[in-house]
Amino acid sequence: MGFLSRLFEPKHGLALLWMILAALVVGGIVIAALCALPSRYRKWVVVGVTFVAGLFYSIEFLIPRENYLTARKPLVADLSIVIGSFAVLIGITNLFQIHWKSLSRMKQGMWYNGLAFFVSFFAILTTGFLKDSVSGSNGEVFAGAFDILFTGFLTSLNAATFSLVAFYIVSAAYRSFRIRSAESALLMIAAAIVMLALVPVGALLTDWLPKTGFFSIFRIERMGYWILTSPNMAAQRAMALGIAVGSLAMGLRIWLSLEKGSFFDRQL
Amino acid sequence: MSFWTQLQRIDRRYLYVAVAIVVLAPLVARSGRHPTVVFDEVERAFATIESVPPGKIVIVSTVWGPGTIAENGPQTEAIVRHLFRNRIPFLMISWDQEGAIWTYKIAERVQKECGREYGVDWAHSGYRPPPIFVVASGMAEDFQKVVGHDRFGKKLSELPSMRNVRNHKQVGAVVEITPSATVTSWMAYFTMPKRIPLVYCPTAVMATEAYPFLDSGQLAGMLNGVIGAAQYEKLLGMDDVRTDAAATSLALSYAHVFIILLIVLGNAGYLINRRRQTNGRS
Repeated sequence: MGFLSRLFEPKHGLALLWMILAALVVGGIVIAALCALPSRYRKWVVVGVTFVAGLFYSIEFLIPRENYLTARKPLVADLSIVIGSFAVLIGITNLFQIHWKSLSRMKQGMWYNGLAFFVSFFAILTTGFLKDSVSGSNGEVFAGAFDILFTGFLTSLNAATFSLVAFYIVSAAYRSFRIRSAESALLMIAAAIVMLALVPVGALLTDWLPKTGFFSIFRIERMGYWILTSPNMAAQRAMALGIAVGSLAMGLRIWLSLEKGSFFDRQL
Repeated sequence: MSFWTQLQRIDRRYLYVAVAIVVLAPLVARSGRHPTVVFDEVERAFATIESVPPGKIVIVSTVWGPGTIAENGPQTEAIVRHLFRNRIPFLMISWDQEGAIWTYKIAERVQKECGREYGVDWAHSGYRPPPIFVVASGMAEDFQKVVGHDRFGKKLSELPSMRNVRNHKQVGAVVEITPSATVTSWMAYFTMPKRIPLVYCPTAVMATEAYPFLDSGQLAGMLNGVIGAAQYEKLLGMDDVRTDAAATSLALSYAHVFIILLIVLGNAGYLINRRRQTNGRS
């Protein structure tokens, strides 16, 4: 525990560089060893690791009060962060492979996507590192460049992509949402009440109704809130229960490596 | 071709332009008008932050990125402003790489407005890779070890706002600001086992799933999308202040009314055409 605790302590300067290099080397050796293993042995390694990892939280949860494993939770958290970081690395490697393939072969209609990826990847990577490591006026230049790339490009593109949904919703609502049955009419009325109840304009529509007494239940925000907290809540509870039972079954299948599929059958 | 038939076949590009105008106009005008009604769950969220005991911190967990900044950004700003006003120290954790920069920028801006100081009144852990449940579970037992350092690489034990936090006993509340269903991780591994109140700030589309948890008491309060943020600002006494939350909630108002009008118009055309066809056949 002492050695592991020291291992996960934050490092700075040269020690940090050495730790990164050591982590990459060790990680590379482990991944290479896994790849070199014949698939039937590799499968058992993955099955074993999955089982032990799943066992930790199950046992810790089932043993009442704080126990030996409770104190080990921070260590598991550290390990999970390390594994998560490796997943990012694997993701980058995968992106590099795909885009390099399309760029090096000058694939029709694809190569410029690869070029855009490499240019933007290295531009934001370089400015991101330099803005923190270079001081003085040069550092300000890199910080400005990073801000243009991050706020001007990345954030705006990300938000713009998400906002396109609004246009599709409007188009779909107008062209496709047709009242063809009593159920669809009910759905539309409920949706309209909830949509209006959630926005300030909705409250203004029935502002002339009293705020207390019998007629107050017809205020749009009251009706909308009732739909959310009564019929919606009942339906959500039923779905949550069903999903929870399904998740438990799915979790057990993954934990015990009973799951069948392309990954479990062929890749391992 | 009749008017109603033409209306059925309207070019979608006209609709796109119309919705852009409907959404943009209130954002450009930037009114300070806040909602007149405040939902019960928003009042409960406000009361939860108000009742954080002295000497305890609040964990502000943010999972959002630029894609949902229009909703989660104002929520983050409203919560952070309340914490700064009440001088409640808080730790911000970001589970999204891009969101890590945005959440820091928002808190830094509000910090200047409220006259607070980084390190003394709050800290930011920077980006942390998920899974949230493992990190949250570890934090409950040994906060300093699992969080370790802030986004600048400085040890939390060296920051006045965080140095006394050892485990869950020094945490007064958790606020989860997210566009995804990550709140259950906090519920199952941190707030419920340790009896710590949890405030949920989802995007409006995710809010309907939260009502059973509000009813059961597993959630102490909720900010329902950007409207919830605007309602929270009203509770903070910012009724006439021109904020992102107020402008966005007004834009959302107009967009909702516009969508309902379009659905009604589309269905009116559909029903009239169908009646004409039926009459023509008979």
